[in-house]
Amino acid sequence: MEMPWFFQVLDPYLIWGYRLFGPALLNFVLGTVILVALSLLLGEISALLASRAVRKYMDRIQGEASHYVRLSMDALAAGDRQAYEAANHLANEAFGKTFFLQVAQSGAFFWPAILALAWMQYRFFEVEFPVPFLGFTLGFIGMFILIYLLSFLLWKRVKTLFSPGRREQQTFHDPGHLQALRGEKPVPL
Amino acid sequence: MSRFTRKFMPLFLLTTLVLGAGLAYGQTAAQPGAQEAVKTVPAPAVAPVAPAAGPAAKMSKLEAAIAKTPQGTAKGQINPAAAPGFMGIPGAPHHLWLWYILWGVWVGWIFSSVGAFGGIMAGVGHISVFGLSDFSSSFKKTSPTLGKLLTDSIRTSNQYLVGLSALISSFTYYRMGRLVLPLGLCLAIGGILAGYLVPLLTVGKMNVSVYVGFFGIIVFAVAFVLFYETTPKGQEKKKAAKAAAKAFEEAHIKKSGQVSAEHAKGVQVTHWGLSRIAFTFYGQEFSFNPIWPLLGGFVINGISALIGVGGGFLYVPFLTSVAGLPMFIVAGTSALAVLVGMIVNIFNMMVIRQVPVDFLLIGTELVGIAIGSVLGPMTSKKIPDIWLKRIFVILAIYVGIGYLTKGFLGHSILPGM
Repeated sequence: MEMPWFFQVLDPYLIWGYRLFGPALLNFVLGTVILVALSLLLGEISALLASRAVRKYMDRIQGEASHYVRLSMDALAAGDRQAYEAANHLANEAFGKTFFLQVAQSGAFFWPAILALAWMQYRFFEVEFPVPFLGFTLGFIGMFILIYLLSFLLWKRVKTLFSPGRREQQTFHDPGHLQALRGEKPVPL
Repeated sequence: MSRFTRKFMPLFLLTTLVLGAGLAYGQTAAQPGAQEAVKTVPAPAVAPVAPAAGPAAKMSKLEAAIAKTPQGTAKGQINPAAAPGFMGIPGAPHHLWLWYILWGVWVGWIFSSVGAFGGIMAGVGHISVFGLSDFSSSFKKTSPTLGKLLTDSIRTSNQYLVGLSALISSFTYYRMGRLVLPLGLCLAIGGILAGYLVPLLTVGKMNVSVYVGFFGIIVFAVAFVLFYETTPKGQEKKKAAKAAAKAFEEAHIKKSGQVSAEHAKGVQVTHWGLSRIAFTFYGQEFSFNPIWPLLGGFVINGISALIGVGGGFLYVPFLTSVAGLPMFIVAGTSALAVLVGMIVNIFNMMVIRQVPVDFLLIGTELVGIAIGSVLGPMTSKKIPDIWLKRIFVILAIYVGIGYLTKGFLGHSILPGM
């Protein structure tokens, strides 16, 4: 079976990283590291573009979710069970909207990795790496996921180092009370 | 749970998956009949531009199933001379990649404007639009093994498409939420049990017609929820909730932000028992019978493993509506259950059961889903939410009837299914 035309176009470039050195294992790891880096970079860029495009809407629905979560916490603190249940119900509904938008937006991050696996499926389907002393072997999917996971964690650490405020932005529905629970200064509502 | 444990639990779970996956995959591949010898990476000296060998070269399970299928041009036969399609099978449905992207756009648009129905539509794409269900059922008499393998591939593809996308959302909520450990454990145990049992009992055993029938039932369940939300009763409930929340807000607006020492304790488990687990949060006591989250985890992850859609998004409504737990702690707890469930399902289907999937199909659909996620919020301003839901109720009923009749009567009474 032939590769699709777009893989045929990209193939000489993607395979380049797999031919830099002599040892097969080193070549495979290095080539996959380059492929994973490309996947992460492309995924990051497209996820950034996609989130920028819906930022206003996302802020609005996340704000709605935060509002009702906060309200339900207030109602709980005040011992008002009825108000708690009402706010919790609305928080659940608002949460659903943000959840599914994020589900769809995650596609922007993962598509390069899955297409990379699709290309590897054509190239390395028969490749197996024996695991020393265990008698097992590792296929191309296992190697890709392992390298992807490690690179992802490293990439996240690098990003956090260069943008320390980022982590705070992500805690969108963390009410002031919960910051207080962690011993931080509560944010006035 | 310590900060360290919280931080590294996802990493530990994923690493376990990856290592386990690789080892199990290799173990199965090394068995007689799979591959004669373990090979190492070839390092060709010159970069070939010529087409490389296709995936079919090592799809031992698929290859074996194809080999057992009678050759020819009639229905239920494989014509080796035909153009390769889905997963490289000669004569299998084949579509232009742009078509996969367009379907992904539709799925992404639904996810970002209607919600859960996006997962259903992802399945409809694989089952009906791309013709995989009919192709699979054509082997019912001539090559049941191939037919069932294709059915498994359809549901695993659904799982990849929806589960992978839900992973990032789950991580985000896991980081943000508080964890009720006994609740998370009960959900996860139920989920793991289903994730183990369902593939064990169904992989390689389920006809596409049965799968489509079950899919129809799920579509009807979603249609019912959507329909209820559009009825006067459903609308009234929402209005009443808003009114109660507003009344509370107005009465307490100046008091918020004050946290007493009692509230600052967070989640405190006060009672562990076989029939009752209790914890306090914000000065209020919550309790649940462990059987319910166990059962909930089993059913929810069971649906996910069987159909390939659902799963993750059902945990939060289950815990807030059925168990009455606070949304804030539910988000983190359910995210843990989603993560564990997905790891077990994908590990079982993809690695232990070696169900082949078409990564090209999934990847191109994900591109479309990303585009659709941007289009959804743009159009949501122009179409009222209630009308959107009504439209999808009609669509869900159509799809539900189509799949139920196709699955359980043998043919769909509605066209296009």
